[in-house]
Amino acid sequence: MRKILAVAFKELYVTFRDRNLILLMFATPLVLSTIIGMAFGSGGDSGLPDFADITVAVVNLDEGVDLQETLNLPDQFPNLGAGPTDPAALLPPLPDGAALNFGDQLAAILLSQPVESPGTTATQGFDLSELECSLLDQSESAGTTVAAPLGSLDELLDATAMDTADQARAAVDNGEFAAAVIIPPGFSSHVMPPFAFDAGFIPRVQAAGVEGTVEVYASGGLPISASIVHSVVVGIVNQFVRVGVALGATLETSVEALVEGIVQGEFDLNAVDLSTLSTDLQDLDAAALGPLGCLITPGANNISTAQKPLAAIQEAPPFSRIIVPAGASQAVFFALFTGVFGIQSIYQERRNWTLQRMIVSPTPRFFLLIGKLLGNLVIVFLQILILLAALTLIASLVIGQPTLVWGTNIAAILVVTLALSLCVTGLGVFVVGLAKSPEQVNLFGPMINISLAVLGGAFGFALPDQAARFSLIYWGVDAFTQLANAQTDFALNLLVLFGQGILLFLLGAWLFKRRLDL
Amino acid sequence: MQTMVETRNLRKTYNRPDGSTIEAVKGVNLEIRQGEIFSLLGPNGAGKTTTISMISGLVEPTEGDATIGGHSITAEPMAAKRLMGFVPQEIALYPELSARQNLAFFGRMYGLGGKALNRRVDELLEFVDLADRQNDRIDTFSGGMKRRINLVAGLLNSPPLIYMDEPTVGIDPQSRRRILDTVKLLRDEQDMTVLYTTHLMEEAQELSDRVAIIDHGEIIAMGTQDELTQQVGEEDRLEFTIGEQEIAETLFERIQQKTPGVTRVLYNPTEQLSDDSSESVPALMTVFAKRGRTALPQILQELDSAGVEIQSVTVREPDLEAVFLALTGRALRD
Repeated sequence: MRKILAVAFKELYVTFRDRNLILLMFATPLVLSTIIGMAFGSGGDSGLPDFADITVAVVNLDEGVDLQETLNLPDQFPNLGAGPTDPAALLPPLPDGAALNFGDQLAAILLSQPVESPGTTATQGFDLSELECSLLDQSESAGTTVAAPLGSLDELLDATAMDTADQARAAVDNGEFAAAVIIPPGFSSHVMPPFAFDAGFIPRVQAAGVEGTVEVYASGGLPISASIVHSVVVGIVNQFVRVGVALGATLETSVEALVEGIVQGEFDLNAVDLSTLSTDLQDLDAAALGPLGCLITPGANNISTAQKPLAAIQEAPPFSRIIVPAGASQAVFFALFTGVFGIQSIYQERRNWTLQRMIVSPTPRFFLLIGKLLGNLVIVFLQILILLAALTLIASLVIGQPTLVWGTNIAAILVVTLALSLCVTGLGVFVVGLAKSPEQVNLFGPMINISLAVLGGAFGFALPDQAARFSLIYWGVDAFTQLANAQTDFALNLLVLFGQGILLFLLGAWLFKRRLDL
Repeated sequence: MQTMVETRNLRKTYNRPDGSTIEAVKGVNLEIRQGEIFSLLGPNGAGKTTTISMISGLVEPTEGDATIGGHSITAEPMAAKRLMGFVPQEIALYPELSARQNLAFFGRMYGLGGKALNRRVDELLEFVDLADRQNDRIDTFSGGMKRRINLVAGLLNSPPLIYMDEPTVGIDPQSRRRILDTVKLLRDEQDMTVLYTTHLMEEAQELSDRVAIIDHGEIIAMGTQDELTQQVGEEDRLEFTIGEQEIAETLFERIQQKTPGVTRVLYNPTEQLSDDSSESVPALMTVFAKRGRTALPQILQELDSAGVEIQSVTVREPDLEAVFLALTGRALRD
C-alpha cells in the first residue's frame, strides 16, 4: 500500500509542478466558463437571455369546472329544501356555457391561439382580459370572447398541441421539444375549488388537491429553454390562481352573507328574488376584483416539474443559471484531457525508463498501475473541485454577493465529483489501453473527448437526450445542475458514472496490461 | 566462488507487425560469480539490453530462465528483485524532481522508508559528491551529474548484484572515468557483483573479470580476457584507415602472400553513419600478423605502389576487439 501511495503522490507532485499543465487544467476552463456566463448570463442582471422559438408540447387534459357544481348550494345546504323554498328555485341551474376551463385558456395562450371560453363573457362570469396584472392584451375589443396573448409568446414559444401526456413526454425525451406542459384533468377545479360548508354552516372554499397541478416536463439537454417555459407557465397559472382566489372569496362572502341573513331572519325568503340574486352571482365582474388578485401571493404549488429541477434555477440570477451547466461541462471536458494524458504519461515513463526502474524494483506491476490511477483520480478530483470552487468565487464576484452556485449540499457535491473523476480516469485508462502507441493516444484522446463534449452539450448546443446520455458529461452536468437546484434526484447519475468508470477501468486495465509488455 | 546469476537457454522472440518473428536472444547461457564484474560486450543491437532485461525481470523470456541468488526470476520475481539493483542506459530519473526526491521515491519502491531511507539517500549523495546539489531539480544537472545520480539510484537497496546497461553512454571523459572508478569501487570495497553491458571494448577490458561477447543474440565467446585473446593467438593487428577509394581484392591477396607473418587481411569499406547523414566511417583494412611492426614497412610499400591513400596506421596488441573481429569478421563498431 505504501508503494501505491508513493506512486500516487509522485503523480500528484509532478503534475502540480507543471505550470503549463496547470494553465490547461484550470485557467482555460475558468476563462471559458466565465466568458460563456458573461455572454449569455448578462452578468448579474436579472433579465432572461434572448431565446426564441422554444419548442414546447402542450397537452390539455383539463375537464373544466361547472359553476353550478362549484356553488352546489342545494347539496351543501340541504336544510334549505325543508323550507318553503325549493333549492332548485333558490339557485336555478346556470345557463349553458357557465363552465370554466382554465386549461383551454392556458393551452391557447401557450399555443398563441385566441382565447375562447364559454364562461368568460362580460355579462356572465368574468373575463380574463379584465384582470389587472394579466398577461393578456388589454387592448382587445370589449365584449368579445377573444383575447390574444401578448405578442412575445408567439415569438418566444414554438408550441404544438398533443393528445396524451405520455406522447408529449416521449417527444421531450427524443429531443423534439425543450419541454412539455401537461395540464391535468383537475386543473380548473384545482384553481377554482368547490364550496363546502363547515360545522357551523359557514361556507368555505375547499383546499386544492395536488392532482390538479400542471406538469412541466423538461429536457435535461435544454435546461435554459425548459426553465423559460416553466417560467412562462408559472406566470400564466398565477393569473388563474388570482382569479380563482378572488372569485372564490367573493362567492364565499356573498353566500355566507345570504345564508346568515336567512338564518337571522333578516330576509324574507318569499320576498327575495333568488333568481336575480343567483344571476348577480353569475355576473361577478372580475375587473372589480383585479387589484385584489394582484395582492394575492401566486400559488406556485399549481405547477409541478418533472425530470429536471427548475425552481431554483428560476430564482437564481442568469449568470448562475448559465455558469452551472457551462462551468460544469467545461470542468469535466478539461478533466477528460487530464484523465487521458495523465494515464498516457505511463508511456512517457517507459520512454524515460523510469517505469522500467520501478518494474525492476520488488514492486508488482499491478501496484504501479493502481498507484498511477489513484494519483490520476485524485488529480482529476482536485481539478474538478478546484474549478467548482473558482467558479463559485467568480459567480459571487459577478453577481455581487456570495452565491453558492452549486448548491449547499457539500457531501453530495463531493460524491458527484468523485463519481465523475472515477469515470474520467476510467475513460483515460480505456483510451490509453485501446491505443497502440502514445501517438495514437494523442490522436484518439482528443477525438473521443471532443465527441463526448459535443454529445454532452459542452460546446453550448444540446443534442437530443438519447444521444447526450452516451456522454459522461451529460450525467455529470445534469447531477451538478440538480445539486445547484437543491434537488437530490441524481442516484441514476451516480450509478451511471460509477458503473461506467469501473467498467472502463477494468476494460482499459485489461487492454493496458497487454500494452505494458516491455 | 558462489554463483550469483545463472541463465539457462534464455531466449526472447518478438513478433513483427508483418506477422514474422525476430529472435533477439537465442538461448543464452551465463554463469556470473559473486563479487566479479562480468561484462557483456557486443555491438549495438547484439542483444545485450534484451538479455539484461530478461535477467532483471523487465522482460519475460520466451524460453529459459534466470536465477538470481538461487531465486528464479520467473517463478520468484520479488525475491530475485530484492537482490538486484538496476542502472539503465537512459537517465531514468524524473527531471522535475530534485536529486533527493528522485532517490527517495525509488527508495520507497524498494520498501525503504523513514529514517533508514533518509540515511541511505544521504550516504549515496555523499558517495557521488552531490550532497550540495541534493535539492536541485534533475533537469538543472549536467549530463555527468545525472549519470551519477542515475547510478546510485540503483544502489538504494544495497543490493549484492547490480546491472549496469551501458552507463557511460553520452558523457564526457571525466564523468566516464568517475563512473568506471565507481564500478570498480563497488566490487572492491562492497563485494558487489556487477553485470556490465557495453559496446566499448576499452571499458570491458578495464573493468571486467570476465567477459561474454554477444553478437546477433548469441554468446560467441566467454572467459577472462587472457582466455579470450588466446583464441586469436599472438597476432598483432594492424589497422589502416583508408580514404574513399576502391581497392582491388588482388591487393589483399598480394599482401597476405608476400609479407612474412601476415595471416589474414580484412577490409571494411567506407559506409554512411545513417541514411540521412552526410558523415561516413572511413574504410578500414585490418591485417593480422605474427610480428606486426616487422611486417608494417612492406605492407605500406604494397599499398603505396597500388596508389592507396593511407590516412592513419595503428598497431594493436591482441585484445577483445581482435577477438570479436576474429570471431565475426566485423569490427565492434559495426
